[in-house]
Amino acid sequence: MSALYLAIRAVECLCAISLLIQTLEFFRIQPALRETGIWAWSKQRQDLLHNPLWMQRLADFIYQDRQHQLHLILRAATATTLFFGMNSVSSVFLFISTLIILIRWRGAFNGGSDFMTLAVLTGLLITHVSQPLVGTEIAYRAGCWFITIQSISSYFISGTVKLFDAHWRNGRALSFFINGAIFGPLKENSIYKKKWFALASCWSFILWESTFPLALMGPLWAIVWCSIAALFHFLVFWHFGLNRFFWAWLCTFPAIIYCSTELRLF
Amino acid sequence: MNFSSLAIWALVFYFAALFFSLIYRSQVVTGPWLFLLRCFFPNWRFFHGMGHVPTLFVRYSNAEKTWSPWQSTIPRARRSLLQLLHNPAINLALANQNLVDHLSADIQVLKEEEDVQQLVTYQLITRHARDYLQQHYPSLAIQHYQFQLTLMAPPTGKHEDATVLTSPAIAW
Repeated sequence: MSALYLAIRAVECLCAISLLIQTLEFFRIQPALRETGIWAWSKQRQDLLHNPLWMQRLADFIYQDRQHQLHLILRAATATTLFFGMNSVSSVFLFISTLIILIRWRGAFNGGSDFMTLAVLTGLLITHVSQPLVGTEIAYRAGCWFITIQSISSYFISGTVKLFDAHWRNGRALSFFINGAIFGPLKENSIYKKKWFALASCWSFILWESTFPLALMGPLWAIVWCSIAALFHFLVFWHFGLNRFFWAWLCTFPAIIYCSTELRLF
Repeated sequence: MNFSSLAIWALVFYFAALFFSLIYRSQVVTGPWLFLLRCFFPNWRFFHGMGHVPTLFVRYSNAEKTWSPWQSTIPRARRSLLQLLHNPAINLALANQNLVDHLSADIQVLKEEEDVQQLVTYQLITRHARDYLQQHYPSLAIQHYQFQLTLMAPPTGKHEDATVLTSPAIAW
């Protein structure tokens, strides 16, 4: 088995876990989408009023409670099959299914994790749909590189915009965001309120995120940057409750590690 | 030139271009479908600016027609390690909070002749306010409720809170 094949299989298995966690959560929050819920389709469908009538009717059909439930069951079943290997049909279905769900939540349910999930599914779609056209090896490499570029770009952009922000540079931003987060407010004696710790944390995040492209210098570099990333996403979960971010980005690490072996500068 | 060196140059060029695109920001393109399909154009700017925080406040009146004090609907929860695997309530609460952010953004670009109550975000927030009261005060006989959208200033001391919307009293 080649490293490339193993990398894509690892991405698929992690993606299966991520999609199953997401789908199970969507099952549990179905009441919020019903007519009596906050996100009632009768209100939200006004977002689509600028579209042709057939498109609105199609959306009305897809987003009925029964159809939505059936969709989630099919999605969970298809996600489970990823443990045994993805194919063109499952990759196309999961891609479209994700789009349908995101439109139902007005473009995003959980922000960044939705974007990264879609990026990973797009990478897997490229891998499996392009195989008959370009051959297995090129298709797998294209998928791996697509996922890697998306993931590294996310860290690089996130780190660089923090670098440009004075509140991140002076260490005030981190305690501000954690204080306003779902598990906040911070206790008076919280370590995040200590200036030296806040400053050190802010600069650690800025430097680690904005230098993430260095992970491509070699597999050891990739493992170090991805390990820090796993810890970082766990902390984001711990302080902000964003469990989906942890899994969405974890899916991309095998691709990053594989791509670093292709360049291997050091 | 082999694949490795070609890829390195392409990556160096890509990340340099990305860096400069963050310095020189171009015009923001908007549209109804672009909004719904924004997951194809992620901006990856997480927690980047300490600006005003759009916050929804609600209050209710009882049979005696006295109003309760305004209370913030900012979601708060208890953490557990198991939430790493299953976290529906918090994710829904965060999605509802995003809705508050979207209403705030919609109000900022609302034209004078447009009615805020026609906005989808306004209608969904109306339900959110009601749902919040229902969840927190299930045994109260609420007659009317009202919500307010306030931009809470960051603790820099340079800005003040600003209320941008107060709904009419809505019958329960």
